[in-house]
Amino acid sequence: MLYELITNNTHNNNIALYKCYNANKVFYRKAAFSHWGNKVIENEKKGYDWFYKDSETLIETRLKKKYFYELDIPQFKGKKFSSESVISGNEEPIGRIIDFYKGQWSAKDVFAIHGDLALCNFIIDKKNIKLVDWEHFHYSDKEFFGYDIINMLFILIEHESKRTFRLNKRNMDFLKKCYIQLIEGAGNNNKILEKPFQNSKDYLLRFKDRFLTNVSKKFVLAGSPLSVLEHLDSIVTD
Amino acid sequence: MLVPQHNYTNLSSAAGLGMIGFNEDAIAVDYGCVCFDSFIYASRLCKKIVGIVPSSEKLKTLQKRLVEEDIKNYELVNANYKERHFEDVFDYVIINCFLEQLLTEIKHNKSIYFNSIIGAKKKDNSLEKTGIGFLQSACKGLRPGGKIYLSYANMLRINILFQLSMHKIMSFSLSYNLRKGLGFASFVKNIYLLSSCLLSQKGLETLLKSNGFVDIEKYAVFPDHKCPLKIIPLSKLDECSYEPVQHLYREGSLSRISAGVKRRVGRLIFMKFKLFDLSPSFIITARKAS
Repeated sequence: MLYELITNNTHNNNIALYKCYNANKVFYRKAAFSHWGNKVIENEKKGYDWFYKDSETLIETRLKKKYFYELDIPQFKGKKFSSESVISGNEEPIGRIIDFYKGQWSAKDVFAIHGDLALCNFIIDKKNIKLVDWEHFHYSDKEFFGYDIINMLFILIEHESKRTFRLNKRNMDFLKKCYIQLIEGAGNNNKILEKPFQNSKDYLLRFKDRFLTNVSKKFVLAGSPLSVLEHLDSIVTD
Repeated sequence: MLVPQHNYTNLSSAAGLGMIGFNEDAIAVDYGCVCFDSFIYASRLCKKIVGIVPSSEKLKTLQKRLVEEDIKNYELVNANYKERHFEDVFDYVIINCFLEQLLTEIKHNKSIYFNSIIGAKKKDNSLEKTGIGFLQSACKGLRPGGKIYLSYANMLRINILFQLSMHKIMSFSLSYNLRKGLGFASFVKNIYLLSSCLLSQKGLETLLKSNGFVDIEKYAVFPDHKCPLKIIPLSKLDECSYEPVQHLYREGSLSRISAGVKRRVGRLIFMKFKLFDLSPSFIITARKAS
């Protein structure tokens, strides 16, 4: 078997991600390099199991509990997105993802947070949407519905505006449309969507231990100033 | 609720060894024990590991670390071991930084691990006697089907070639008056063979094959083999995508500019021109023929 090391120890997660070429089969392997890495990998497995539990397509991930854990993940076919993806040009997949989120997350018996929902973690084809990278998965309350999508929008805004958070009218109109689309799926006691960006930051900081990472270093949202978040909230809610 | 803990050792610098697929019943040997993390990582996943340590200082430091990590399934052997103790014993041979180790031996004019590195008085000039016959020791210790893992810095190939060539020239000059030039042809051939093995990828592969290895795989490593962030198998270049690794930099605009330049140069060399022979480091894995 041949290996390609894709990433190693990103954000100090103590995990290496390999692409494995075994005869005609290609799959991905996450391997831990510490006990902390074992915890993160075990958590990721929980995320996959939660998400694909009632999935129409059979997704088989395999956790090997050696001294250091390994998680084998199948290769998904479809369109992949860059980690630097922006809003412009990706409006159609973003809209599909929001619909997908509303459907999938509402249908689950137990509510959960992906924790690192970004466009680059989706693999999309005409029929299916696959979601990877469940390292920060955790169970939560349904009143935090919307957190993951707001986090994704925040990352897209950051890239689109080249970290200035100034957007053109077209982008602002699109964000408002996304918000309206998302709010249709929220319950009456929702604790995110009244001030989506400020409340998402609050959630991230309040429940930082659930994310199994240093949230201040990994997520830009965690360190964003109030003025930026107020500005973004006003764009979507006004 | 899970809360981050910090009383653990992160062995991520041993990510290259993650490609080996250690078996928990296996016995491994580490020549040189250059990277302690690699040694510890292998010890965690194998039944036993033998470390061949070059100096008493290094031995002490490694022992201290092993006590801290509460590792017990190891044996440390002084570098002056006798090779006959290691015949068909190991399932895995690990040689981290092997060109670096070779360079140290050349500089100090001694052979610690690898037989006949320098000072070989043999008149035959076959590959294994040209001064880089170190792979024989590794192969002897392996069981048939066992795996070898080598890592090295690319730029040292030229450095070592220079050092070894200088050594050959010195040896040739000293013996010239006695032998009246009879060894000149042998001298030229030696230099040619050295260049072939150290500078060309094919030459190194030939050297491995001539020492009984098969299924040779070569990997380009970024930014360096002591702490790899990206490893690309050279036989799968068409399917792999090179993306520049994030070069670490200290505070300051100059460091930031330098990291940016490195990223752009990396993109040009590896993404556009696919010149993977210029990779900063390499890893080689191979199997001893059954």
